[in-house]
Amino acid sequence: MTGTLTGTGTLIRLILRRDRVLLPVWIAITALLPASIASATTGLYPTQAARDSFAAASAANPAQLAMRGPIYDASVGGLTAWTLGSSLALIGGLVSILLVIRHTRAEEETGRRELLASGVIGRHAPLAAALTVVLAANLLHGLLSVPALVAGGLPAGSSLLFGLSTSAGGWAFAAVAAVTGQLTASSGTARGIAIAVGGLLFALRSLADTGGVGWLAWLTPFGWVRLTRPYAGDQWWVLGLIAVFAAALVAAAFALSTRRDVAGGLIPSRPGPAEGTLPGAFGLAARLHCGTLAGFAIGFGALGALLGVAARGLHTQLDTPQFRELAATLGGADARLSDVFFTFVMYVLSQLVAGAALVSALRARAEEAAGRAELLLSTPVGRLRWALSHLVFAVMSPVLLLTVLGAVAGLTFNGDVARVAGATLAYLPAVWTVAGIATLLVGLLPRLAAAVSWTALGLFLVVDLLAEFKLATGIILDLSPFVHVPAMLLGGAASPAAPLLGLTVVAVTLTAAGLAFLRRRDLMPSA
Amino acid sequence: MNAAVRARGLVKSFGRTRALDGLDLTVKTGEVHGFLGPNGAGKTTTIRILLGQMRADGGEVALLGGDPWQDATDLHRRLAYVPGDVNLWPSLTGGEVIDLLGRARGGLDPKRRAELLERFELDPRKKCRTYSKGNRQKVALVAAFASDVELLILDEPTSGLDPLMEATFNECVLREKRDGRTVLLSSHILSEVETLCDRVSIVRAGRTVESGSLADLRHLTRTSVTAELIGSAPGLAALPGVHDLSVDGARLRCQVDGDALTAVLAELARAGVRTLTTRPPTLEELFLRHYEGAAR
Repeated sequence: MTGTLTGTGTLIRLILRRDRVLLPVWIAITALLPASIASATTGLYPTQAARDSFAAASAANPAQLAMRGPIYDASVGGLTAWTLGSSLALIGGLVSILLVIRHTRAEEETGRRELLASGVIGRHAPLAAALTVVLAANLLHGLLSVPALVAGGLPAGSSLLFGLSTSAGGWAFAAVAAVTGQLTASSGTARGIAIAVGGLLFALRSLADTGGVGWLAWLTPFGWVRLTRPYAGDQWWVLGLIAVFAAALVAAAFALSTRRDVAGGLIPSRPGPAEGTLPGAFGLAARLHCGTLAGFAIGFGALGALLGVAARGLHTQLDTPQFRELAATLGGADARLSDVFFTFVMYVLSQLVAGAALVSALRARAEEAAGRAELLLSTPVGRLRWALSHLVFAVMSPVLLLTVLGAVAGLTFNGDVARVAGATLAYLPAVWTVAGIATLLVGLLPRLAAAVSWTALGLFLVVDLLAEFKLATGIILDLSPFVHVPAMLLGGAASPAAPLLGLTVVAVTLTAAGLAFLRRRDLMPSA
Repeated sequence: MNAAVRARGLVKSFGRTRALDGLDLTVKTGEVHGFLGPNGAGKTTTIRILLGQMRADGGEVALLGGDPWQDATDLHRRLAYVPGDVNLWPSLTGGEVIDLLGRARGGLDPKRRAELLERFELDPRKKCRTYSKGNRQKVALVAAFASDVELLILDEPTSGLDPLMEATFNECVLREKRDGRTVLLSSHILSEVETLCDRVSIVRAGRTVESGSLADLRHLTRTSVTAELIGSAPGLAALPGVHDLSVDGARLRCQVDGDALTAVLAELARAGVRTLTTRPPTLEELFLRHYEGAAR
């Protein structure tokens, strides 16, 4: 058995070499966020009275409850832990899933693992190396966040617990990905299953905190990372739950990996048709996009149902003076609570839809980088037709996803499908703008397109966070296309044409420029 | 117009690397043309320019009488391409990919498709994800050979095939030639080119160093002479055009330039010859000569 881990050290060095930029950037940003949010909280709410009233307002806001859960303590530390607990677990979880799959299943799928396995590399070494790096990186950002928190005047013990709680989210999902990486031969499917599991576990936590079924939070890592209660009673033993969860999944992953072949999956690959009926480039694109798109549609449908149900209880459960006040500031004195709720939530979720649109918009580049476009473009399929076959999905997938999200939310709320779906669809031009940025980059800077597009979307999300803490105003805020979308449910419907038309023009211009650049440049496979 | 490919002085740079440095290539209609060179010589870059996937920085290029960049779509109806590194869609089966490429090229002959699948021993029901490199190459080859096109561009097409499949591949290329199609075959496998090609172009560091029929090229190069002599031939070493002379008792070996052969044979005859072997240089030797030059 000792031989199965041979070569782990070599593989760890390989992973560190391949991710020498990504890992430090992720660790640094994640480690710096807690102290900056803590200092922003101190600055914005200097007195206990101010913090109490902020906490009361937030506790009354179902959107905040759904995203972040309850506030356990209205101290600076308690508010910081509340602001970041869930988001850092979400980010850490997502990055960990992507990294583990990238260094395990994706390596096998491309055949690079085979090359290594023929050397002195034990059967378990690749998984052990990937997990070591990802678990250590998560631990590192958690620990690194502590000194700055302590320097800012927060108690050392609670700060360490908070740091470790932020690490724990990554650990849990690294372990989930370790298992899903054993199931199928496709890295895309393995990634998809892990992210879907993450989404379900997050939804479970949201439901626990908005639906009055608090015990559900004890069933999900997204609940546990908050239930450690840093700065609010410090329940250290909850970390043990996460450790057991992660250890059990990791053990399962190693056990599963001994029961399959290299490059094979536990779910065997079935033979398919011997003859094809794909009618050219568009047929091929439809085949390539539809699986992912169906997955996204189901996910957003489930989210919409959750929101609709949550919004139903608002009038009875959350009709507090604080929330009324919030609603009045946002939408005027007669704004309906549910409208404020939907406006909040759709603003955030539309950026998730933009993520789905990015996947489609970057697909053409992915095909090019993998060398598959080369073969197709040697046939009479022209450059433009090929690009359009993928662009159609970048344009249409947000239409589908926003409609599903809004329609299901409206249906489960009060049956008012058109109104909620209409408000959700108002984000379409903003999402198209994000897809337009990606299309422009695919034409102009193909090798950097994926990295820069995702960073841009990440920055738009950061702008939201900064805006919420009033750290960003004016021009910086204007940079995000989402900021310009009128709140259709809160009086924005009066004159929505100008901003929506403006964004659409921007999106079309970006897209057209991207296509023009693509037609003029050389094809650049990554090899 | 009897040239399928005509390229003059092609130049292409990637950053500071000059991948093509004045490359010439002429492929006559109906011939099998070998495009020889080591890895990194510029073969694949040239092919990508011919396919309109890259634009040359300088030089002229015509493919089937058209401009490969401007008229890409129309020209592609008349050609089929097999890349050196075949990458396929992991979720599609081999059969689906063959039909996708075939349809895109305007349909393929189902009888020929079935025959090729059998000869290459390829299972078309398997997902491309599960194919080895050789099998992915077979998918692209079947799609190309089953298409009704004028020109086949094959970039190191046998690099993943086993020797038995290489023989099958050779038969397929010869059949294409019989049917009057033009084939551009890039390779660094010399025996393949020797058996299949009418003419070859040898490239090194982005330039064409030799081009012509195999006979032409051999004429330019040295002949390998091995002889067992009765007497001795002391004058041999002094003759111009004699290289790498080695004498081991009565046995003698040397390389002789084409125009020095008469003088060498006269000198040998004077010494008296017991056995004599002359051999045209293999392409390996041609290659060594050119790439030794590059190393110097």
